[in-house]
Amino acid sequence: MLVGLADPAARRTGAPRMPDLATAPVTLEGVSVLQVLCEVANDTAELLPPALHPTLPGVVTWLVYDCPDSPWGSFRLAQTRIECRSGTRPRGLLVSGVIDNDAAREALGPRWGYRLVPGSVDFRRGYDGVEAVVYGAGREPVLALELREPVLLPPDVVQFVASVHPAETPRGYRLVQVDPRHDVHRAERGHPEVSLFDGEAWGEPEIAPSHPISAAVCLADVTLPKLRFVCRPGEMAFTGTEPITDT
Amino acid sequence: MKFGVMYELSVPRPFAGGIERTVIENALEQIRLADSLGFDTAWAVEHHFLEEYSHSSAPELFLTAAAMQTERIRVGHSAVVCVPEMNHPIRVAERAAFLDILSGGRLELGTARSSTWTELGGFQADPDATKRDWDEYVRVLPRMWTEERFSWEGTCFSMPERAILPKPIQKPHPPLWVTVTSPGTELDAADRGIGCLGVAAATFAEQERRTREYHRRIQLCDPVGAVNDQVSTLNFLYCHEDLAIGAERGMQMLGTFGLLNSHLLFTREAYPTRAYATLGNLAPGQGRRSEKGSPGDAYGIPDGMCIGDPKLVIAAIKEWESIGVDQVNFMLNAAEVLPQEQVLESLRLFAREVMPAFPRPEPAEAD
Repeated sequence: MLVGLADPAARRTGAPRMPDLATAPVTLEGVSVLQVLCEVANDTAELLPPALHPTLPGVVTWLVYDCPDSPWGSFRLAQTRIECRSGTRPRGLLVSGVIDNDAAREALGPRWGYRLVPGSVDFRRGYDGVEAVVYGAGREPVLALELREPVLLPPDVVQFVASVHPAETPRGYRLVQVDPRHDVHRAERGHPEVSLFDGEAWGEPEIAPSHPISAAVCLADVTLPKLRFVCRPGEMAFTGTEPITDT
Repeated sequence: MKFGVMYELSVPRPFAGGIERTVIENALEQIRLADSLGFDTAWAVEHHFLEEYSHSSAPELFLTAAAMQTERIRVGHSAVVCVPEMNHPIRVAERAAFLDILSGGRLELGTARSSTWTELGGFQADPDATKRDWDEYVRVLPRMWTEERFSWEGTCFSMPERAILPKPIQKPHPPLWVTVTSPGTELDAADRGIGCLGVAAATFAEQERRTREYHRRIQLCDPVGAVNDQVSTLNFLYCHEDLAIGAERGMQMLGTFGLLNSHLLFTREAYPTRAYATLGNLAPGQGRRSEKGSPGDAYGIPDGMCIGDPKLVIAAIKEWESIGVDQVNFMLNAAEVLPQEQVLESLRLFAREVMPAFPRPEPAEAD
């Protein structure tokens, strides 16, 4: 059976610190969300802790939010995730993210366990597609995505998989389940293009994107949720999952 | 009620050391036993690239071996993937006819379109086109089998007039089925007059609703060939005299299957499209529990699963029977988590204690 083979503490260095797990939900309205999925050439089992299982084939997902308003002001956020399973459920392990708003970064890390670095995100919507270019703190591009020739889809067709965020919590180092709700008002799919990915800059040099699968762009209200579960990274979810209700 | 055995041919890691051969030989031994015990059909799936979960990439070869080693049991291809990048329709017709001849007219042909990106992406197939292409396949297959010469101008393929050979020996042709995972596919089956090969583990209530509508719609069908109006459902079988032992081993099999299944990348998850309304996931849903209370509840056995002692298994099948299901097809193992002798003993116990509770139709004679 396929299980994660990485050291459970491999992502502990630099993991965000969460002072408590009693996070109140926040709804972000009118967010443009670009989601691109791409197969990777490597075995993602090597990149996942034992709590998680790889998918066949290994897949990396990029999520880019262009958020016009929030309690912390407008922001743009780009995330790199490795698709996986927790028990039998689909999940995406957050590798890291880039965000252009310091106040949002200082809220998202301690409250939801987002591992973020400051940078900038260009997000351009045209009649024939969407472009997103992500720049790290050094102003070098670290990711370039495109969606070409968009076609409208029913809003419920685009699937968003819950994330797991490695974080230091009051219970110790845990994988925090974060399952934002996406209320999609408009959805389009297009041809995906991935012209640049600097894995080292994202903290995972081993990710080797190979075959783009799909690109979707949505207009959605995104609710960053109340936290419900954490999981010990060294154990399978069946035994390592801890509910947060008793916190 | 008819009973079948169904094979994914799941293989535990590591794949070296002849384990694939062991899995295949164990399955063939089970089919020989099932044949002698009075099971009706042995089905084998077609999957590609699904490590551990299913190594059944050439089911027509597996079923040929099964047919050569048995006398009576029917052999079911469940199902040939009707995607041009995987199987050209001419080759589907040819291989099926050949197997029908070799088996002495015992072939059942299921059709499908694949539900995973793992497979569709591997063959660079377009998920948006699979339903349309499947429709074209099921319309041409009966004609390829029954017309002396055949030509076609279609959407997913075209061909000048040729004789597609050989012809099957069942007349007018082997029964056609479609695997049903997405809700609504049972209606596609009914409208075309083909059998409903249930492979998603649905609840009784859901299956009853879909079966009733299937039987209503098929009365009004515009058949693509000879009408096959049967409904089958997928199940898991582990039967033991001791309920606790039966439940423990059966749930171990079910859990293993669910984990292997979860590794697959389903099309709906990876590629947004209207063509895949559901995951197409075969694993019984968590929380699928009896609303009425069942002795199996104490062991966490999902509602309707044929796991436990003979009494519990009979009760489950009676309920499937009551909602109009004609055939229950059983998976017997997952990644060899159960030793072969336990699987064989479960089959023998089923034949001895469960089968007599269900009147059996005489097996059809081949033409």
